Amino acid sequence: MARMKFLCDSDRCIECNACVTACKNEHEVPWGINRRRVITLNDGKPGERSISMACMHCTDAPCQAVCPVNCFYTTADAIVLHDKDLCIGCGYCFYACPFGAPQYPRVGNFGGRGKMDKCTYCAGGPQADNTEAEYAQYGANRIAEGKLPLCAEMCSTKALLAGDGDIIASIYKERVQVRGYGAGAWGWRTAYRETVGV
Amino acid sequence: MMEGKTGMSEGESTNRRRGFLKALGLAGGAAVAASTPAAAFNVNGELGDVKPAKETPEQRVAARYRETDHVKAFYRTNRY
Repeated sequence: MARMKFLCDSDRCIECNACVTACKNEHEVPWGINRRRVITLNDGKPGERSISMACMHCTDAPCQAVCPVNCFYTTADAIVLHDKDLCIGCGYCFYACPFGAPQYPRVGNFGGRGKMDKCTYCAGGPQADNTEAEYAQYGANRIAEGKLPLCAEMCSTKALLAGDGDIIASIYKERVQVRGYGAGAWGWRTAYRETVGV
Repeated sequence: MMEGKTGMSEGESTNRRRGFLKALGLAGGAAVAASTPAAAFNVNGELGDVKPAKETPEQRVAARYRETDHVKAFYRTNRY
């Protein structure tokens, strides 16, 4: 069974924010909520590096472990999704997430933030595939359409990879071998508890 | 009346151009309306008038990923 993963090749990311824009457009995500964002380290200095960041759909996801109402579930493709009908907006998942993925519609205290929103890997949620209800609560479901997350498909430098973890790892390995260097698959050790030997 | 290279008067030419642009605008609007899902995304998770269509626990966790031609093309082009 394929295991869905994200991989950001930081040697290729040019901080164009097309992934962020594609995500917001595909799911009509409003201002103030960023399911995906680009983070630049050492901005303006030699060795500057940008990483496109969203929910990494972790193995043994910490958000899922701390949720007091068990609103998270992991699909057979290893995509971590959540049920907004169960979410109470407590914010525990935000504190547990090593990537800062969970987002809330409002600034507030326990329960006052509204329902948590995060990257769904373009796989919708617990409403029937590609129904109005699914779109209204979670956005588009491209995985059910036989496609991949739009952020990765839109990436002009092909820095952001999505899909079967084994295939995207092999693509990244090929790139590193050709280039002769690689900054590593950022976040993989944290998210997937794996050592990337490239 | 001034006549251009096409033999049309200036007024006729303007009307034709405006008609073309109007038709283009209406066609564009119709295309946007057709491609936009009926329900807009609501970040608060409220469904409003939309009918819920909850999946069963088995359906929720079922694998959705398929290695379609679209996905294969993504993998292939990322190897370049």
